[in-house]
Amino acid sequence: MALSSAQLDLAPGRVHALMGENGAGKSTLIKILAGVQRADTMDVTQDGQALTLTNAEDARNAGFRFIHQELNIVPHLSVAENILLGWAYPKRFGIAIDWKRLEQQAENALLRLGVDHIDVTLQAARLSTGDRMLVKIAGSLVSLDGEEAQLYVLDEPTAALSEDEAEKLFRVIEQLKAAGVAVLYVSHRMNEVMRICDDVTVLRDGKTVLSSPIADTNRQQIIFAMTGRDLEEVHPKRKTPIGKTIVCTAKGAATAEIRNIDFELHEGEIIGICGLTNAGQSDVLQMFMGVSSLLEGEALVAGQPAPKSPSEAWQRHIAYVPRERRSEGLMLRRSAQDNIVLPHLASLSRSAGITHSKAEEATAKQFSNAVRLKADSPRQSVYELSGGNQQKVVFARALAAAPKLLLLDEPTRGVDVGAKFDIYSLMRQASSDGCSILLTSSDLPELLGMCDRIIIMRDGVQSAPIPADALTPAKLLAQFYHSEAA
Amino acid sequence: MIRTLKLYGTLIGFVTILVFFSVQLPDTFLTARNLLNITQQVSMLAVVACSMTLVMVMGDFDLSVGSMASLAGIVAALLFSMGYPISVGIAAALLVGVLGGVFNGILVSFFGILPFVATLGTLTMFSGMAFFTSGGKTIFGRDIPTEFSGFARSGLELDQIGLIGLKLPYLSLVALLVLVVVWFILEQTIFGRRLYAIGGNQEAARLAGLKVRTLRLCAFAMTGFGAAIAGLMYASRVASANPTQGSGLMLDAIAAVFLGMTMSEEGEPRVLYSLIGVLILGILDNGLTQMSVDSYIREILVGAIIVTAVAFSSITKQSR
Repeated sequence: MALSSAQLDLAPGRVHALMGENGAGKSTLIKILAGVQRADTMDVTQDGQALTLTNAEDARNAGFRFIHQELNIVPHLSVAENILLGWAYPKRFGIAIDWKRLEQQAENALLRLGVDHIDVTLQAARLSTGDRMLVKIAGSLVSLDGEEAQLYVLDEPTAALSEDEAEKLFRVIEQLKAAGVAVLYVSHRMNEVMRICDDVTVLRDGKTVLSSPIADTNRQQIIFAMTGRDLEEVHPKRKTPIGKTIVCTAKGAATAEIRNIDFELHEGEIIGICGLTNAGQSDVLQMFMGVSSLLEGEALVAGQPAPKSPSEAWQRHIAYVPRERRSEGLMLRRSAQDNIVLPHLASLSRSAGITHSKAEEATAKQFSNAVRLKADSPRQSVYELSGGNQQKVVFARALAAAPKLLLLDEPTRGVDVGAKFDIYSLMRQASSDGCSILLTSSDLPELLGMCDRIIIMRDGVQSAPIPADALTPAKLLAQFYHSEAA
Repeated sequence: MIRTLKLYGTLIGFVTILVFFSVQLPDTFLTARNLLNITQQVSMLAVVACSMTLVMVMGDFDLSVGSMASLAGIVAALLFSMGYPISVGIAAALLVGVLGGVFNGILVSFFGILPFVATLGTLTMFSGMAFFTSGGKTIFGRDIPTEFSGFARSGLELDQIGLIGLKLPYLSLVALLVLVVVWFILEQTIFGRRLYAIGGNQEAARLAGLKVRTLRLCAFAMTGFGAAIAGLMYASRVASANPTQGSGLMLDAIAAVFLGMTMSEEGEPRVLYSLIGVLILGILDNGLTQMSVDSYIREILVGAIIVTAVAFSSITKQSR
């Protein structure tokens, strides 16, 4: 029952945004287009002709191409092989693979996107996330026997990309548009949608609630359509002053990935750490979590040396929301409750290491309520939850630690507007309660809206912290590139 | 419907087997004597399968349990033959089991070797040690104290509950004890919950503050300990020790755990389900032997049942 009356009209040469909160039915709609899921009643027409979509083959024949959010790339194969995966490789003498031609074909596919900086003989594992995305798109551009792509479905393509990688992708989308294909662009990011899309369709509770050219609508209207409420103020303002006590200090600190890290984080303060992809933002958090070890300098939490292991960190009320919630955060097959109480089993136990299920249940319930988790029960498996609710489970786990220091690595990535708002409120609440927060993010309005000061990283080295009030998104973005030029 | 079949398919299979043999062997199968006999026949397998469950909940394997069982039997028998008391022999065998398990654990968690590869290596090592120390010969006869072999032959008198002349074999009691202990560890302790968490997502478990390496090492040590117990039980039962006698246990134990996994909603190993897996294998063995079915046919059947059960549960998993 994910969809009840959804409608979507796509035109060639136009980029169509599909928006909606998690659980609104976007994925279901895409799955139907992909022929992976069947609707009870539906009409799909292409160029006025009725189309049956019963399996993935039908969708492919209809010229539909899908780039999914989770990049399923084969890391140990070359770029060229990844691009041509699923197609017949060119052969020599009918049996041996013709590697030269394979690479040529792959290069051609990339060139059609205007991409010339990727070496197709490289192992795909060595590419950045952004480049992997481009490889994936190039792979879907490959066609046999003049069978042309009619529609590209991009499911949250920029979720894992940095600003400049996203820019590359936007250029590619321009190319696709110019070539006269339709693009269905699924994203939570309002800025992107306003910038690159021509039309927008918003789903809410499985129904199409807004469908219009972008030019005829605006941000407010779209947010209202998605959430059913006005979100005038997405980022709750600070209401309590920052404390005097210093919770967390770095003095010339270095790990394998970062060096010369210097800052002081006060009680209740939120410091944002940003920069281009993999500039060392996450490594700063990992240093305080005991994930990566300190090589030089000093890193202190509450006056004591930073923990040596995540286990020690949790014991010292340092809580962590890792960047990749599926691979680093959650046990997907287990219940929300199991996931929430995981680091806290010992403190919730009876004596002698025997579990206390009543206490676990109570804690899970308390913190699922605190984060406004939408689940049938805390016993529900996490993989059944939407992305936003999965992230809330990771948050609930962190909050259950009664954290003094909260390390948040891209906490709102791939999360819908409603859940984002909840997460921001939780951050503000924690900060008012005296918890200090280190936040990495590639969402500039989020950084400016939530943080007191912002640190910009570049190649593992930081800028001096800048007060957030002194910045605008444009200034902040300029800082990324300015420091790159320096 | 599919969901029900998925969860209860194996259980239904189990009941079907029971009914089949009761009909085919009306006089001999469903008798107290035979059922008690089955509990003894499966006791060693049950011990190994239960302790194997400990590592399998983490998504790991221990292929070395069979040769560890053999080695433990040999160690005890050798010490008996050198005139050491029974307690010393048993203690030494169990110690060898723990040490072997710790060794597996070090390879897997500190060197990061895949459990399949690491324990395949130690399988060969333990087996080699068993051959070397025993000189490749079976240790039997006067070298094995009668008190030791007598243990497997005796049991708890059941006259009290009306089963005159029958005994609940001590070996079955040992298996029951191991089952209860493993059940308690996995279901009721933090340690067990953490093992399941590692199986759920090792990286997430580590970042959530679990000492993954230590936990894995402990679980492997326990599995080694369980294998040694099974080895001693085997030696006691046949009143001898030879360097290959435990070798059949490993595959059957893994098969039993797999059969059990098909019954769990999350597809995870659970020790009580592992026990059902053990009973399926044991009852098949018992019934088919009584029907004098060729032992090779028996193997084909057992293999087919495992493949069917696992295939069925995978298909239904995908269709969700």
